[in-house]
Amino acid sequence: MSETIPELKRLERRDLDVLLTYDGGQNFIVTYDDIKHACPCAKCSPQRNDDESSKILRREIESMPPEKPKVRTVGKYAIAFEWVNGCSSGIYRFERIWALANKLDPDDGKSYVHGAW
Amino acid sequence: MAEPPVSIHNPNDDDSSNQRASPQQQKQMEQAYAQMKRKMSMQEIGRKIKHKIMVLSGKGGVGKSTVSTGLALSLAQQGNSVGILDIDITGPNVPKMMGLDGRRLHVEEGRIHPAQGHLGVKVISMAFLLEDEDTPVVWRGPIKLGAIQQFIGDVEWGELDYLIIDFPPGTSDEPLTVAQSLPDIDGMVIVTTPQDVALLDSRKSITFSESLKVPVLGVVENMSGYTISGKTAASSEVTIAGPGGKSHKVSSDADGNFSVTLDIFKEGGGKDTAEEFGVPFLGALPFDPGFVRGGDDGVHRIVSEPEGESAKAFSKVVESIIDQIGESSSEGLEII
Repeated sequence: MSETIPELKRLERRDLDVLLTYDGGQNFIVTYDDIKHACPCAKCSPQRNDDESSKILRREIESMPPEKPKVRTVGKYAIAFEWVNGCSSGIYRFERIWALANKLDPDDGKSYVHGAW
Repeated sequence: MAEPPVSIHNPNDDDSSNQRASPQQQKQMEQAYAQMKRKMSMQEIGRKIKHKIMVLSGKGGVGKSTVSTGLALSLAQQGNSVGILDIDITGPNVPKMMGLDGRRLHVEEGRIHPAQGHLGVKVISMAFLLEDEDTPVVWRGPIKLGAIQQFIGDVEWGELDYLIIDFPPGTSDEPLTVAQSLPDIDGMVIVTTPQDVALLDSRKSITFSESLKVPVLGVVENMSGYTISGKTAASSEVTIAGPGGKSHKVSSDADGNFSVTLDIFKEGGGKDTAEEFGVPFLGALPFDPGFVRGGDDGVHRIVSEPEGESAKAFSKVVESIIDQIGESSSEGLEII
């Protein structure tokens, strides 16, 4: 959270992935499957807590037909993806997008704790 | 002979009496018209109010109304035109905190005009409609829903920079109704105190925001720390007995002044929750008994001490919120 990340300047939706351009011209590609799998919402996150359920989630995502999502900004801190197939609840902080772009664990190794649901 | 419940229209028949709707149909049409008019009015209100912010907490008693009024006053202090919508139908207390106790609402041509509190903040609350403050409001879901829609659609807010919407604690009907009725809500502010029970419920509110598809602007930790100040011998050490039998050692300055902040309900929990959920931490507000006095007297701490520590803390929280919903929010990012 405390790491300073460069500003995301451009997000190009392509057929199977997004091309991200950061301040300074760095380009990254993140697949839609990776984005869906990293959904930070309370329904998807617990499924990444252990390897087996994470793999199941991954397989479910990969079996969905390819689609180009709608993308919108959320305040100044995040973006959200709207899919026809798959979960659209997640609000992706720019730090999370940066982690995905750099092939890092967006959950930073932390298991999801469900609050009081 | 009684009129048939439904009139039958015959295109070859010019007799207009056959085309007249039954009383039941007329009532239904009137209701549909009123509902449509209210919906249009809500859209119009949505356009006239630049920013709408929901204030929620999972648990009661965390100072949500104090934070709502504080945010409204702090925004007004910065020169914004602000309104507060007190959606806490069963326990409305914003008017008392805003010095509007006992006021009645002005209704003109079917439109409700809000009362004006400190710093010109416009206030709408169920409290204005109660005969006396001891009368409980015992309404079930659909009636509450109607009242909320009326509070949104039939109120003449005028042009506002910010509308702060104060909710009852929990994740019940009220936020859902508002989120579905009022267009373009900027997001919600979650108020918590540092103890575990409150934090647990705040996490629930954050998860709730995802189902409402309203972004979380961030978490505010209220009652974060209580600062004790005093005077003793110059450059000496003072031991303060804090909560839980914990001793705090503090050194006085060259003039003998010292101050120490005691974390009455632990510390940093709001920040940890925000980090855990990847939402912004908007700031911590000090435990200030002046809020209790101010709330009872109808003079909010921000009004009585505009330069005080609490007012400064609110100002920082407001800065963080403005930063989140700033109009330049999407300027830097091109999405294609």
